[in-house]
Amino acid sequence: MLVQGAKDGRQVGGEESEVIFVRENVSMHPTQDASQRISGRFRILKQSSSLFMTWIPYTQKGNLKVASDMNNNKSSERDRNLYSIRAVPLAEVKSIWRHTRPLVWQYIIVVLNCGLAFPPLYFHNGGIKELLNKLKEHVHMVRSLDDANLYLLNDVVQDPLQKSLSSLELRDVVPVTSVAVAQNQLLAAISSENGSSKINTAISVSNESTGYEQRKLYSRRVGRQEESRPSAQQSHCEREQMPQSDSKFEETTISDEMASTRVGSFELVESKLNDYSLSVWGRARLPPLENEEWATFLDSEGRVVDSKALRKRIFYGGLGHRLRREVWKFLLGYHQYDSTYMEREELRTKKYKEYKLLKAQWQTISADQAKRFAKFRERKSRVEKDVVRTDRILPFYAGDDNQNVSKLHDILVTYSFYNFDIGYCQGMSDFLSPILFVMEDESESFWCFVALMEHLAPNFNRDQNGMHSQLLAVAKLVELLDSPLHKYLKQADCLNYFFCFRWILIQFKREFEYENVMRLWEVLWTHYLTEHFHLYICVALLKKYRRKIVDEQMDFDCLLRFINGLSGHLNLEAVLRDAESLCILAGDSGVACIPAGTPPSLPVPML
Amino acid sequence: MATVGTNNMQAKLVLLGDMGAGKSSLVLRFVKGQFQEFQESTIGAAFFSQTVAVNETTVKFEIWDTAGQERYHSLAPMYYRGAAAAIIVFDITNNDSFVRAKKWVQELQRQGNENLVMALAGNKSDLASKRKVETEEAQTYAEENGLFYLETSAKSAQNVNELFYEIARRLPKAQPIQPPSGMLLSDRPADRTAKSSCCS
Repeated sequence: MLVQGAKDGRQVGGEESEVIFVRENVSMHPTQDASQRISGRFRILKQSSSLFMTWIPYTQKGNLKVASDMNNNKSSERDRNLYSIRAVPLAEVKSIWRHTRPLVWQYIIVVLNCGLAFPPLYFHNGGIKELLNKLKEHVHMVRSLDDANLYLLNDVVQDPLQKSLSSLELRDVVPVTSVAVAQNQLLAAISSENGSSKINTAISVSNESTGYEQRKLYSRRVGRQEESRPSAQQSHCEREQMPQSDSKFEETTISDEMASTRVGSFELVESKLNDYSLSVWGRARLPPLENEEWATFLDSEGRVVDSKALRKRIFYGGLGHRLRREVWKFLLGYHQYDSTYMEREELRTKKYKEYKLLKAQWQTISADQAKRFAKFRERKSRVEKDVVRTDRILPFYAGDDNQNVSKLHDILVTYSFYNFDIGYCQGMSDFLSPILFVMEDESESFWCFVALMEHLAPNFNRDQNGMHSQLLAVAKLVELLDSPLHKYLKQADCLNYFFCFRWILIQFKREFEYENVMRLWEVLWTHYLTEHFHLYICVALLKKYRRKIVDEQMDFDCLLRFINGLSGHLNLEAVLRDAESLCILAGDSGVACIPAGTPPSLPVPML
Repeated sequence: MATVGTNNMQAKLVLLGDMGAGKSSLVLRFVKGQFQEFQESTIGAAFFSQTVAVNETTVKFEIWDTAGQERYHSLAPMYYRGAAAAIIVFDITNNDSFVRAKKWVQELQRQGNENLVMALAGNKSDLASKRKVETEEAQTYAEENGLFYLETSAKSAQNVNELFYEIARRLPKAQPIQPPSGMLLSDRPADRTAKSSCCS
């Protein structure tokens, strides 16, 4: 485990996003009826050099609008969930069309690269000009020559993965058929940017170096756009005719399509891409989910309305630290998504009593009894040996007589009675530490740990079969996704993949800083693309270092040492994006590499 | 297996013993001269190397530090296979760890590697007031089983270097690189150089 420098333990909160523009009372008008308007806060956020646009409707309490009856209330709540714009990367925005005629509300229409437009956003307090000025400071934005109200963003290719190679427009127009040429040019563009991990950066740099060319490209692109894509204004008209409630669903489908396009380009380029420093491909990561946006996922009684959308959101951006205590319980399966606030409160009380009973089972063992109970003494002493050396650098667990260390101890001994067959195993304290850090409450931590172990206890099986099946799956995935590496490891007699043992046993707990471990785990726990995302992370990491591994002819010893030495030197966000791309690329063939019942999947029931 | 170059050897060494006995701490003291009060548990295994000079020879130890819990016992053969030396560590303040150490000795003896140099380390000698295993008892056991015994403290550094030096001295001097026919030479030396580049 690694702990970030001098940070106070309770302050660990992830990368904060910076608000660069905010405007209150920005609303959508789903119908002509003024009472149906949804007001919210419009913001532009900046997170590690990427910009995001969000529009979050006010909650009922904070809303200026007073609903006239209950029915109305229900439907507006549904609309709130439906219309929220949850962190859209500006890199995905194609254009903004503004409507600023006098005597009417000012509004903008945001059109995405994929052609989708959001419903008009009405700026009741003005501020569109300020918004556009602010955007100009941060992104490349130009006014369309044909329509003074149309602002085009990202006129250089922003995300080639969303486009076919033929539309990349690298210097010359590439015929669709000559894929090899396009590929070479793409590679050339990438290598021109030393050590860059993002293809879009590489391309924009190569374009900047020839300003004239860039302008030429731009004008060509605008022309093409008019032929092939509806302008913002057109899509606005279409939007008016469309049933309003479909907008969210439409967005989902389109992003799924984008994913499939991404696979095509990815495969094409990656097959020739041998440089381990160039492999970040997945879509831009979102800023963490925060309170305000979290509220949009819940109905008035606290049920998660669309758990898939929630899991997707967390998969792509993680959680703000303050939300973890609440949301981890869902991700871990301790709380049901369709439970209400009240049901969860009841569960808490019920489970607290249950925990006390379980704990009493071993706490009431007298010294005399313990003398004749070797198994108990052994277990307790193992737990004692490990809790005193688990994350003690973290202020939360530091110092003598630390109460949290005692809680770790009590929870783990209680668990060894709750699951007597597995007992306590080294590595469990690593799993529990972040959970207790987040939950603080002993009983709640215990039950979250229990829920996690439902999936991961097989990692600790005496016969190691849980670990073996995962290591075997990594081997198969590497064979599928990186055959040169597979060939090398085969020849080096390293196909048992034991050098990945620590990665898998405790899900990278020792490889990243504490905050990043929490981020990674919540991403894994979403089971969004797959339950086995951690295996794709293994592949992504090995692929990233393949050249080094092969060039230096590492044998098993060197490899283990090298892999252990990567701890603390890994870039989580890049790794997540790589793994996502690999997972999408592998598709069903990837699924076929992982036998049913491989942890963290639940065991296949015996027939 | 220990291998001999002109004046230097490489020797694979494995540390075995109960969890919390201080295996990682001994290695860390020997390799980096450091001690961590709350050295975290070892998951899987860790690999280190350190070179010592004995008389005119240098010995490069390639050290495998293993996880202590019995649950992970099945992985151990992978790490002690082909080892030239083994240090079996127990905690002098914990009798169970001494019992476990004896089991490791038996297991290694069963492997039948006559050239294996085995050391028994009674660690945490700085905690003498909490001692549960008497020096004499451990000493006698070691002698009876062909090991040498040292009481060490990773914390105070007492006897840590001595432990490794003593092993280096006891390594069989003339163990030739086999086979001496020369047939494989084109292959192997290149391998060695490559290895030392990443494990030096």
